[in-house]
Amino acid sequence: MLTFATSVIERRLPITAAHSTHPFEAGWAGEAVFFVQVEGTHPALSIQAQISPDGLHWVDRGEPRKLLEQEEITAIDLANFGGWLRLAITGATEQEPATVLVHLALKG
Amino acid sequence: MQRVISYERGLEKFNPLRNVVTYDDFDLGFNGWLDLTPNFVNADYRHHPSEVDLASWAPSMISAAPMRFAATHGSMEGTYSLKLNTKPVANRYEEKPANGSMGVVLKRLSNFDPNLRYVQMEAWYAYTPQQDRLGFGEEDMRAFGFYFDLQDPEYRWMPGVRYVNSVNGELTKKWQYWKVADGVTKKEWCYGREDGWQRPGIDNLWYGRRFPDGSADAFQWVPDGAQDLLYNESPDKINWLYFRLLIDYQRREYVELQSMDKTFDLRGLSPTMSEPYKSINNLINPIFFVETDTNRSVNLFLDSVVYSTE
Repeated sequence: MLTFATSVIERRLPITAAHSTHPFEAGWAGEAVFFVQVEGTHPALSIQAQISPDGLHWVDRGEPRKLLEQEEITAIDLANFGGWLRLAITGATEQEPATVLVHLALKG
Repeated sequence: MQRVISYERGLEKFNPLRNVVTYDDFDLGFNGWLDLTPNFVNADYRHHPSEVDLASWAPSMISAAPMRFAATHGSMEGTYSLKLNTKPVANRYEEKPANGSMGVVLKRLSNFDPNLRYVQMEAWYAYTPQQDRLGFGEEDMRAFGFYFDLQDPEYRWMPGVRYVNSVNGELTKKWQYWKVADGVTKKEWCYGREDGWQRPGIDNLWYGRRFPDGSADAFQWVPDGAQDLLYNESPDKINWLYFRLLIDYQRREYVELQSMDKTFDLRGLSPTMSEPYKSINNLINPIFFVETDTNRSVNLFLDSVVYSTE
């Protein structure tokens, strides 16, 4: 049986500028899925998965995902990601903030 | 019938009481340990109001302890440990903990023994800040510790200890045990808030006034509690240390804290007794926590832990 765990990386966090999620180690997992939910009114967001050798230096992995104004949730799946994972989220501003709830589901 | 009992060899590095209730080697995953969160039971799934954002702590993770310039550290035995960590944010020590400045994990258990006398937690652990800047780094770890959240038919009580490593950048390196100072009011405990569920003696890790010398409403200094814990010269080197806390459940007193090769006699000391909370009789939650002293993530790695009773 595989090991499975879902962690809540950002818990209903209001963002008003570009935001990178808390760096998360997942080297034990063979597959990862980020779920990004946005509560209430929000602008269109661009969400870019990133990986890192050390949790300090980051490189994009895959293409950015758009979450449109009328959408509430999106999922970004990753494999062959090394160890560290995070999301870089852009589009929120002081005038148009977003409240994000980010889950990371890991299996391996 | 002849019974044969064999134990996992990894238990040899522990000194458990008669009943090993849980033995968690984090090479096998989270093993039922999870991030502590408040109760999301109000309208819109909001938690009860609190002056400290109890939903803000950094998520724990299964870690191979990768380093910036060194190789992956692995764990004491195996590859993975449970890593508590913080976000890179802190207030000054004497202010309330900043959102995200702590990491807290727990396991939710219960008492099954009507004659329970002792509860004990042991751990092999290591600690270090993230190597995101030059320097030694030791002074950026404020504190880490362990406590039991307990409720018996008469009281809710939280016996625990913490190692105060650094206060506003000054190395302190002394142990404290959980007990609220006499006369602390609810308003003082909760940063000015008088309503709600918080009471002195509940959740000492983030409530109560803190003072610049490292003392606090929520904690008392362990007698002769100074200890120069092993911190190995650089943020990318970790050494595995032994921890054991023994509690007398019937007398509601501390018994012993063992840290590495040193045992502190805590007999005669007791934590704060609080009125019981609704519907949590027999609750036994073992809880580890870590707190950063500055705008830097710090890590507490747990290789393995054993909860045992007698």
